[in-house]
Amino acid sequence: MEKSLVYLQGPDGKAVQAELWDDISAEHVAHWTDSWKPEIERFRQRLEKDGVAREKWPQDLHWDWSEKADATRTVLAYQRFALVCEGRLQGLMLVNLVTSTGRLAAQQGKPLVYIDFVSTAPWNRPDFCDKPRFVGVGSVLIRVAVELSRAEGFRGRIGLHSLSQAEKFYRKTCSMTDLGPDTGYYKLTYFEMTEAQATKFTSEPPKK
Amino acid sequence: MTNKRTMTLNLSDAEMSALEVLAEKKDLNKTVVIRQALRLYQMVDQRMREGKKLFIEDELTKDKSELMFI
Repeated sequence: MEKSLVYLQGPDGKAVQAELWDDISAEHVAHWTDSWKPEIERFRQRLEKDGVAREKWPQDLHWDWSEKADATRTVLAYQRFALVCEGRLQGLMLVNLVTSTGRLAAQQGKPLVYIDFVSTAPWNRPDFCDKPRFVGVGSVLIRVAVELSRAEGFRGRIGLHSLSQAEKFYRKTCSMTDLGPDTGYYKLTYFEMTEAQATKFTSEPPKK
Repeated sequence: MTNKRTMTLNLSDAEMSALEVLAEKKDLNKTVVIRQALRLYQMVDQRMREGKKLFIEDELTKDKSELMFI
């Protein structure tokens, strides 16, 4: 397992160095179990206690990274990433290299990096807390997917199905093409990034 | 990021031709096509060992046929 250095934005707007790991280790899973999971559970209980309607709850509350890591550990088609900053796990991403190909006419049938799941720690999320600790975890991980796509010879092409609450991020922040709801996949909106969009996305400073 | 090791691959003319066609069609180099094939084969093999089946569906007729792997 190897790490590289990336930068997140701290609460004061300053860049903070973070470690990007090219796999999700048992230690990362333990961090998720010990720090993310209890916080998510407390948040879920608060939503329940406050009587917040289920459709307004964050749609990824049930994601279990321990299960996802276990199920994909030995499968070459999956690549897993963990982002650590100040000794704490800040983000996780699971991508697949073989199950999806391009849907946009310009890249129809060509391989791409399909982002199965991407998460940021509860303390970085504005839907969980008033003052997120770090900004840019999602953008950094999307850039990682683009770089992986390039390294694999896929020219920066990536694709994903988005939960409705995250659509704005992929549409505005990542400037991906919205191909509309996919009736073959829970009616989730499918987004794709072309080589040209990837070049633009990675050459510009991260958007908030 | 991961260290890579080199191997020699012996292919027949037909296999090399198929590899070249796939590489051209998928806009990949031949090494990546082979790597993709291995990833796919391993994933399918694992799913089948878990008791799952692989089907091919005709987009128009919706007819499904099971794909048998050795």
